[in-house]
Formats: sequence, C-alpha cells, structure tokens
Amino acid sequence: MNTSPTFRRTAPAFAAGAVVLSLALAGCGGAASTAESAAPKGDAAPVSNGAAQITVSVEQVDGKDQCVPDFSTAPAGPVTFTISNKDASGVSEVELLSDKRILGERENIIPGLKAVNFTVTLAGGEYQLYCPGATTETKPFTVTGDAAPAAAGGVAGLLKEGTEGYAKYVSGQVDSLVLAAAALQKAVDSGDVAASQQAYAAARPFFERIEPVAESFPDLDPALDLRVADVEPGAEWTGFHPLEEDLFEAKAITEKSKALAAGIVKNVGTLKTLTAELEYKPEELANGASGLLEEVQSSKITGEEEAYSKLDLVDFAANVEGSQQAFEYLKPALKEIDATLTEQIATQFETVTTALADYKDPAALGGWKPYTEELKKTDAAKLTQLIQALQAPLAKISEKVATV
Amino acid sequence: MESPSPATPGVSRRTFFSGSAAVAGAGGLLIGAGGAAAAASAMAPAAAPAVDREAERAALAYPFYGEHQAGIDTPPQDHLVFTAFDVTALTAVELQLVLAKWSAAMSEMTAGSAVGKVEPSREHAIPVDTGEATDLGPQGLTLTLGFGPSLFDGRFGLEKFKPAGFTQLPAMAGESLNPAMTGGDLCIQACSNDPQVAYHAVRNLARMARTAVKTRWTVLGFGRASAGANQSTPRNLMGFKDGTRNIKEPEDFAQHVWVGDEAKQPWMAGGSYLVARKIHMMIETWDEDSIGDQQSIFGRNKLEGAPLSGVKEHDAPDFHAALAGGPADTPAIPADSHIALAAHENNGGTKILRRGYNFTDGLDSFGRLDAGLMFLSFQKDPEQFIALQRKLGGMDRLNEYIRHVGSGVFAVPGGLPAAGSYYGKEFFA
Repeated sequence: MNTSPTFRRTAPAFAAGAVVLSLALAGCGGAASTAESAAPKGDAAPVSNGAAQITVSVEQVDGKDQCVPDFSTAPAGPVTFTISNKDASGVSEVELLSDKRILGERENIIPGLKAVNFTVTLAGGEYQLYCPGATTETKPFTVTGDAAPAAAGGVAGLLKEGTEGYAKYVSGQVDSLVLAAAALQKAVDSGDVAASQQAYAAARPFFERIEPVAESFPDLDPALDLRVADVEPGAEWTGFHPLEEDLFEAKAITEKSKALAAGIVKNVGTLKTLTAELEYKPEELANGASGLLEEVQSSKITGEEEAYSKLDLVDFAANVEGSQQAFEYLKPALKEIDATLTEQIATQFETVTTALADYKDPAALGGWKPYTEELKKTDAAKLTQLIQALQAPLAKISEKVATV
Repeated sequence: MESPSPATPGVSRRTFFSGSAAVAGAGGLLIGAGGAAAAASAMAPAAAPAVDREAERAALAYPFYGEHQAGIDTPPQDHLVFTAFDVTALTAVELQLVLAKWSAAMSEMTAGSAVGKVEPSREHAIPVDTGEATDLGPQGLTLTLGFGPSLFDGRFGLEKFKPAGFTQLPAMAGESLNPAMTGGDLCIQACSNDPQVAYHAVRNLARMARTAVKTRWTVLGFGRASAGANQSTPRNLMGFKDGTRNIKEPEDFAQHVWVGDEAKQPWMAGGSYLVARKIHMMIETWDEDSIGDQQSIFGRNKLEGAPLSGVKEHDAPDFHAALAGGPADTPAIPADSHIALAAHENNGGTKILRRGYNFTDGLDSFGRLDAGLMFLSFQKDPEQFIALQRKLGGMDRLNEYIRHVGSGVFAVPGGLPAAGSYYGKEFFA
C-alpha cells in the first residue's frame, strides 16, 4: 500500500526548483564539445523555423543500439529535437537532461514509426542527450551563448506555482474536513443514527482526496483511518472505521461511538495544524496522485475500505478526484516536459470520470451507489482495468517533475 | 527455416539448429491421434552432459525475424502462457503504437533482453521491465501474435485488411463455452522452456499496452502435449501420448499450415491461423474408467501409444484391420475412436499442426480438478479445424470426458523481415 515516498513532514524549500536555470547558465563551452567517433558534426546545428534543428537517429551501429544526433552543439534559444527509430528495438525514449533533470523528452520512439519531435528553450551550457537502453546511453550536448530562456521561470516556475496551488487545495480540503468532522460529532452526540450515517458519508471524501498527505504523518493516519484487519493485537482501534461499524453494522450509538467521534475531531484538528505550513515538492504531488490510484485498487475495488457502510465508491471517486487535482497542478509544467504523456493522462482521467458517472446515485448515501457484493462481482474487474490504464502513465510523471 | 539473427547472443544457437530444420509436426486432431508420416524422423534428443544441456537450454534463442513467426514450426517448448486481449483503445493510432511497441519488445525478449531498465538510475523512476526474467536467459522463448476476427470489425478502419472468409468459429457440438474465455482482438502465444520467462514476456507486453489493451483470458500450460521434429511424444493429462502423428515435415507445413495468397492479404503470406480451445477434462471420472475402455476411446494403447491395429507407437494405424479374435468385421481400431475420427486418412487428407499444452487451474467451482488441454492448432484455413471438430464434437467417444470451455481463432501474420518492421504495419500506411 505504501508506495514511494509521499509527502514529507518537513517543509522543503522549493529552492531546488531553480536548479534548472542556474545549471543551465553554468558552462559555456561550445568549442570543446565532443570528439565522438560516431561523429555528430562539430559545428552548431542550423536554425530554421525559429529553432535550432537537431535530428536524432536511433539505430543499430555495428549491431548495437545507438542514439546518433547529427549535431552535438546548438546556439542558445529554442532547440528542436526530431527523433526517429530506424531499427533499434532496445531503445524507446530519448530525453534531454540538464544534470539529472529532464528538460524535454519523447517516449514511444519505436522502430518503424514516424519521427517525433520536442522543442526546448535552452541557455548556454552543457546538457546530455539520454537514450536509456542504448549501448552509449548518454551523449553530451552543448549549447553556446548565454541567452536565458525567454519565459521567466520556465518549467521550474510552473512547478512552483503548481505546488503552491496544491498546498491551497489541501488546506481547503482539510478545512472542510474539520467542519464535516464537527458535524459528524454533533450527529453522533445527538444519538441519531441516520443523521450520523449521513454525516459520516459527507466527511469521508475530504479525507480520501488528500489521503497521501495524511499518510505522511505516521501516527495520524492510523489513528484516523485504520481498518479492523490492520489493527495490531492489543492496540486500540480508533478513527472513522470503528465508528462506521457502530453506525452501519450495529446501527447503535454508544458512549464508545461518541468517544470515537470526538477522537476524529481531535485528530482532524491536528491534521490541520500539521498541514497548515506544509510545502510540497512536485514529485510528492506526482507520487500522491499515483498513490491514490493504488489506494483505489488495493482497498476500494476490493470493498475493504468501507466494509460496513458500502461507501467504497464514495472513497473511490474521492481518491480519483484527489489524484486528478494533483495532476492538474503539475500539468502546465508537465506539458512543457512531455506533452504527449500529459495528453494521454488527461484522456485517461476523462475515461475514468466518464465511466464513474454511471455509478452516481443522488438518492444513495454519499451520492454513489452502494458497493454491494453483487456490484463488486459484476464490476470489479472493469473498475480495476480502468484504474490500471490510468495509473500506468500517471506513475511515470514523478521522475519527470522531480526536483532532485 | 530460421537463420541466426545478429541481434541474438547465439553462442550455442547454431548447434541447436544444425540438423534440426526446427519443424514441428503433422497431425490428426485433439488429444492423441495416430499416424504414419513422421515415423521416419529420429525421436531421441541428442545426448549431452546434463550441465551443458541446462546451459544450452537457457541460452537457446530462436531468431525473431524471418519468413514465419516463431512458435509455430518451432519444436514445442516446455511451457506456455496463452493470452487473448481486447483492444480498449478507440483510435487506430493507439493500436498502431501497441503493435509497434510489442514487435520491438518481442524481439528484445526473445533474445533474452529486458524491455527497459529493471533498476533505473533516477530515484523516482518506475522500473520499465518488471525484472523477474533477469539472468534466466532466453530459454527458447517464442512470442507469436495473432489477430482475432473482431479486430477487423470497423472500430479501427481495418475492414479491408480482413483475411478472406475470416470469421469467428461456428458453434459446434461438444462445447459449453464460457464467454469470459472466448474470443479476443489479439492473442499472444508465449512458449519457453522456463515458465517464468514466458510469464514475464506476457506480463510486460500487457503492461506496456495497459492504456490501450486489456487482458481477456489467459491460460498457463505447464507441459507440452504435442511433439515436434526430433522430440519424443509427450502425454496429455489422460495419460495418453499426444501428437504422435503431428505435422513434422516442411512439405506438410507448406500444404497444411502456411498461408500463401489464399487470404487475399499480403500481410498473411507466410502466416497461419491459430485455433485455441481450452478443453476441460473430467479427470476424476476418466481415472475410474477401465483400461480397455480408455484404449478403445483413443484407439491406442496407453503405455506404448501404439494404434490398436499395431505394435509400436509409430506404426501406421490400419483402420481396416480386424480385431484379432473378435467378431467378423469388427475393426481393431473402433470407428468412433479418437484417432479414427481425426486421422487424415478418414478426413480427405486434412491435417493440422497441433501445439497444445496441459494446464491446470486448481479446482473448479464444483470441487473437481480444473485441468485439461489447452489445445492450440495452426492451419492454413480455419475450415480444417472446423471440419475435424464438427466430426469429433458429434461422434468422438472422448466427449464423455471433455468439454470445450474456451475458444478463439486468430489470424497469425507472417514473420517480420527485419528490425524496423512491425506487425500490422500495412494497416496504418
């Protein structure tokens, strides 16, 4: 269930995001570039259509898969890489790196398919053309001159805006969760089971949308969201799910129920305090987006999350929504890095959202059909396939936006 | 047939190929079958020290490029993963990408290479290859791709590329098909001497196409149930030798297996049609049947595998021979026995290449052993299979002990000429 590092508690300064630019300004050595035997021409690439034009041929050279650019030097400014794969089946993507940071890339560079291209705006300095799977994976690429990219901030700026926007989104969800938890406590204290069920269903989405953030606090998440199967023997079971059992299984409110509701209010308050000043790294948004879909697969589609209330589709939809939000905040930057992948993910989100619409039921608790055994039996495989087709491309974005 | 390709690390490959035209065999149908044609070819595998044999098996790599796809006339490997897929993509471009990616990945994996980084250098990167086949070697892996009739239904504008007369198999007697194990837009037959290598291949192909393709049904075969050239005849789960009279000679392949221009599609030249039938065996009841009945059902004896008209496995069955000491006009091989019904002598010369595998899925929902034969056959025309199965489904005494529960028919394109080409390229010109 725990994937890659999710959100950290310490608030990392976003300074790292500026790396792209500072690195780009570092070197200035067009002259001393490569003396490679596979001989890209030493002179700078010609400029046409407002961009320096580099053609990269992925092909077999002496029986080995190689990436062969026609020039290894370009003047500062926009640079277009046009890439085709002649016959090197071991290579399927090409990236332009500055140190380890991906500035631009294309995937699906497959033998027999048409050439594809990407354009990046580069300042003078040393870069690397990275072709994973090639016999020589990394080839130096030099940009002469010092023109800084026109768009101030560029990708780094877009990422910074995105993470700041996401922080606000999280705060908004937590604020709503605080209110919803208070309402839940009030309903429970009143002893009204039906009203409490309503309040329970209303509160869940706010938590589920930002679950990876909550999960980054190792004590808080179990206190709020542990399922009975995960409770250590002898440990106390607290949070939403024992209350869910009271409300939906026993359908009775006891003193214990009231204590549970009070505990939720307290822990949600702590979550608000902890997240108030939190800053996020782009890769944390990316991992969170993917992590939410992992949640969907491992506990919602299986019906384990809301075993008593059958509200799994409420959580399912909230997980997907939270995932999409994180993606949306990364999207402007991601488009610059890999427009095709960005488009593909956007399309998959649309597919999932459209398919999920069939499960909406305004009359049902929480607004979604109860995830009964029958529904699970007929639809679980379809839902799994939907989410897997979304997670596969989405999981790839973390390394593309990573600030390290 | 297949010549070594430079992409494969073929240290011992030449030795494997010299001598064996790497041709698999001729046939009757389904389980067991009797025959004459192949008797001439030697059956014993070359002797070699055990350790060398193991290393050679691991290093065995079949060329990916060639006139025909590998995995058809390739001597059957020990393990199978058969998977049928539905294309979920809505555009031809997505389908094109899947076929190009698959072709490139298939060439890598059949050479024993990963399909991307198992351990990428960047911390946040997702491993591209899943890794479980690392260091296992190619293990004779072949990956054979087929297109189902539904692929040409118009979703992708491929109607005009549909092979002449290519449709789903008709309903036939003796089947109770489960729709969840029937059909598919695409199929991959993965065969290897190591089950993990075959599994890895299909898993990674499915994974790299996840946004465009979903797995419809899959069968894991754990033991080959047909013989190719120079292979001893294995046994099916009923305990009988299977594939004795399988197609083995190149002339038979030319006549019965390889498609020429009959399909009216250039992309099918050098290809074939794959019929897949998941056949559930009523193993427990079979096990309690008497040996006499079992043998007369097959038309062969159990240990030697000889036709009931003969003495040795490869004796040609004589369907006119009378039962020794029996009533007059009683044939030694009952007319409704499996081999009598399936034999080419009794079917206007029709032969098909059988390439099936034994499978088990544990227990079925009734508490019975869920096991049987993943019947795979290749033929120049699906009608060859249909004609034989119509006859078998109606009359075969074996039907009391088997049910066809899964089914598919696929057009298998000819082989790819060289790196840079991919299956279905003609569809997207």
